[in-house]
Amino acid sequence: MSLFLNIIKVVAIVIVALFALTFTVYFFNLDMKLTAAIYPWLNKQYDKVKRDQHL
Amino acid sequence: MKDLKHLIFFENLLLEANNELIQKAQAEGSICVAYTCENTPEPLLNLPGCFSARLRAPRTGSLDISTYYMTSFLCEYSRALLERAIEGGYNFADAIITPDGCSMMNRCIENMELLKTLGKGKDKFFFEYMEIPMKADDNGLNLYVLQCKNHILKPLNEKYGIDVSDEAIRKAVADHNRICELIRAIGDFRKEDNPRITGYEFDVINLATYVAPKYLLLDKLEETLEELKTREPDEKSRFRARVLVAGSEVDDTDFIKLIEDAGAYVCADRFCYGSLPGRNPIILNDEEDALTQICRTYMNRGECPRFMNTDKMDHRRIYVDELAKEYKADGIIYQQMKFCDPWAYEKMMGSQILRNKYGYPVLAVDRPYSIGVSGQMTTRVQAFVESIEIKKIQRGDANG
Amino acid sequence: MAKEVGADRLGDFYKEGSLVRKRREWRGLADTMYDYSRWLKIMMTLGKFVMKPRNVKAMFRYRWMANYLAVPMMVDRHTQGLRGEYLRICHEEQDLVIDDVAKLLDSLFRGDRRIGNDKKFSDKVVLVDENEMTAVMMGFPTLKCLSRETPSTYVSVLLNQYAACHYIDVAQEFGLAGDVCPMPEAEAGVSIDDDAPVLGACAIQCNTTCDGSLLGNGVISQRLEKEDGIPVFQLAAPLRHREDDVQEYAAQEIRNAIAFIEKHTGVKWDWKAYFECAKRVNYATECRQEWLEMNRTPYPQVFGSNLALYTETNYMAICGRVAAFEKADRKITKLARQAYAKKKMAAKEYRHRAIVWGVQSHYYMDFLVWLLNCWGIVPLTDMLSMVSTKKLVTEDTPENREQAIYDMAWLTENMIMRNRTHGGYKVLLDELWEFVEMFNADMVILWEHMSCKALDGMHGLFEEKAREKGIPLVWVSHDLFDPRIISRQGVRDQINSFMHTVFNEEPIDPSLEVLPDEKSW
Repeated sequence: MSLFLNIIKVVAIVIVALFALTFTVYFFNLDMKLTAAIYPWLNKQYDKVKRDQHL
Repeated sequence: MKDLKHLIFFENLLLEANNELIQKAQAEGSICVAYTCENTPEPLLNLPGCFSARLRAPRTGSLDISTYYMTSFLCEYSRALLERAIEGGYNFADAIITPDGCSMMNRCIENMELLKTLGKGKDKFFFEYMEIPMKADDNGLNLYVLQCKNHILKPLNEKYGIDVSDEAIRKAVADHNRICELIRAIGDFRKEDNPRITGYEFDVINLATYVAPKYLLLDKLEETLEELKTREPDEKSRFRARVLVAGSEVDDTDFIKLIEDAGAYVCADRFCYGSLPGRNPIILNDEEDALTQICRTYMNRGECPRFMNTDKMDHRRIYVDELAKEYKADGIIYQQMKFCDPWAYEKMMGSQILRNKYGYPVLAVDRPYSIGVSGQMTTRVQAFVESIEIKKIQRGDANG
Repeated sequence: MAKEVGADRLGDFYKEGSLVRKRREWRGLADTMYDYSRWLKIMMTLGKFVMKPRNVKAMFRYRWMANYLAVPMMVDRHTQGLRGEYLRICHEEQDLVIDDVAKLLDSLFRGDRRIGNDKKFSDKVVLVDENEMTAVMMGFPTLKCLSRETPSTYVSVLLNQYAACHYIDVAQEFGLAGDVCPMPEAEAGVSIDDDAPVLGACAIQCNTTCDGSLLGNGVISQRLEKEDGIPVFQLAAPLRHREDDVQEYAAQEIRNAIAFIEKHTGVKWDWKAYFECAKRVNYATECRQEWLEMNRTPYPQVFGSNLALYTETNYMAICGRVAAFEKADRKITKLARQAYAKKKMAAKEYRHRAIVWGVQSHYYMDFLVWLLNCWGIVPLTDMLSMVSTKKLVTEDTPENREQAIYDMAWLTENMIMRNRTHGGYKVLLDELWEFVEMFNADMVILWEHMSCKALDGMHGLFEEKAREKGIPLVWVSHDLFDPRIISRQGVRDQINSFMHTVFNEEPIDPSLEVLPDEKSW
């Protein structure tokens, strides 16, 4: 029984922790802030791609 | 070279939209059918009892009013026409027929209609808009024929009693072809190494056939052809290169003059209002009705960039190459009226393909409707002429 | 941070010089949790997408793919200030569109010769334009109808206002004039820049929407046909689409297009599938008409970008082919009825009822939300949402099969935008004033897409008619895909000065009047 309760407890802690983490990311727009940081780097990457530029 | 006897006469016809021959024809009881787009089959507007006048706005000045109605983003040709219409400059017309060739032309004519700028005091005046094919195929031909019946022949017959029979159409085609043959014959002198006619002179004569009743020009054209047969060109040509001018609407003879004054002989005119292919005769057979054959001819030979099927798109560049060879052009000038969407794209495609695939020196320019004396354009053409000369020297052509 | 509509100063979320906003809104517990759950769903859609190595490869190959980093922000922009049913309607739509675009991207990269190179799959792909009704694909359920331009330019600009600038510049470097419409210009630029996926058994291009679009296709087909060996059929829809004497031509074009697809894919037209799609098109039409009917009352429910963006997608790109949109139609209608019964409002104050006409600025699609939040202007409907309401035949009989060809032709002719910008002045000019009356609007917001010649050509007559009718008309100029010509603030300023000087009003939310979003996605 206590094992079962422990599992429930762990699952609950994981869920709460996951919720806290994702909600923090969501609320403070951290997902977008991260992608905004990646964006300039990606653009530099595209400049290096070889292209057959013509009509 | 000695001046052409009738050049001033032809030049004078271009000074006013309502020129003296239009007035004369109307005084004789003919109906004037105005049109704007090269995709309108001309012979159908020149049936017995009526004649066509392709609208221009010579000596255009301010475009303030039309710019208010259509903004400064529409091409100056459409704005110049609207401005002139608002000024009352096209009140001579008895009808206007226009295809939805491009959005700008369509809006121009619609503004004319909504602002009631045409047809004052003419009870029978009508506006007709027609759909024309965007591809050259059987379906397109069926559409073309139906549209010509519904939007050209029917209103002309119902409003003005014009005979629209097959016989009348065949006569109109025969008359049209006579003019085309004369223009072709006159234009062929441009193929000479030291031509006896300038590109400017030819442009003036050719343009007159679009804006004046053709039957009233016949004698002058015949005389001009005879005169040219014996005309002596200057011993030493003032031109340093031969160019083909391709592109959008040009009804401004000053533009051709400017190019020639900058040292480039305009040997071929592949533009809207030009003679290639606009003045190719229409060959009819006896088996099929004339209307269908006219529509097929217009559809198949049309070089307007609104034609969107691949064969037609490719042909636009192939045709320029063929003409450049036939008329011995050293280079090609792709011109586009500013704000013309179709030619903005075709100028890019044509200039890139003619340069990279066919190997021609190409100058791509955009220009206003009425160019006057443009130092900027002159400089660009001069530089182009020099680049052609340098290429000739590099190839060793200069010393033969 | 508040539950009530209009309690937040929405401008405070923006940060000078930043691509993104400071944080997301607190909309009260229930609405925030709902928004959070939908955000999670979007993250899962994106996560599923990047799980596939080929999609990651594509991310590093195609410049326009970087814009997809901004997907969640696009949703945030459109849900600004929304609560309750309005928030849910917006998510129903946006999330479905995101899911659909993710599937489109996945399919493109699967068949792309550079990326997935699944030849068998590619042989079942028919490429279509971005601005093209997909009616002609309604009877080909086993084929994949994919548009390369939709993800590379159309959606990209919704995500990032500067997304098309690179491609516009490329096209201009090759000599294209700067005054053409930047949409086909950017599409041509993608092709020139060698930045379009290469796949498909064949392609159907269309002359919708305009001269520029038609000619831009010519640039694209040059590469498609001549280098990639993908045969192209150019479908010519008549311009004077209200005329009886063009309908046979239009129908024959449809027959020819179907025959072309059958020839190049080896797949036969399926009438059963067609009529199923036709039923869904009719249902979407019924729903849209019901929403518009509500918008005529003091309590409009599905309006602004909720109406505009969804109609564009559902009417044109989906055209009855995706069952999930029927489900969404049903849900949206249910939510709208619910809110209507409660006489709910999307903002704390409705000051003006506007008809939005012309072609909206694509780099500022959430402008309609801004109008509502900043000035209390309710965009009741817009030009692009006023599309065909004709019912399609749905029963499979020999006569109906013939009629169905005409129905598809009609839909193609009446693609969004071109059903108003072409076909004569009546559909553009005259019908606007009929809608003003029908919707009890007290103002007209007229987008002036500066390089749209068909619209510009009626400029003066719009003004004259507005004066004649006594309806305040405000011009909002923009250049569709290019915020370097007129910025988002430049767009807002045109409304701001009109509202201050003509209506003598002050904004409902002053924080929105000037926003530091010039650098923002």
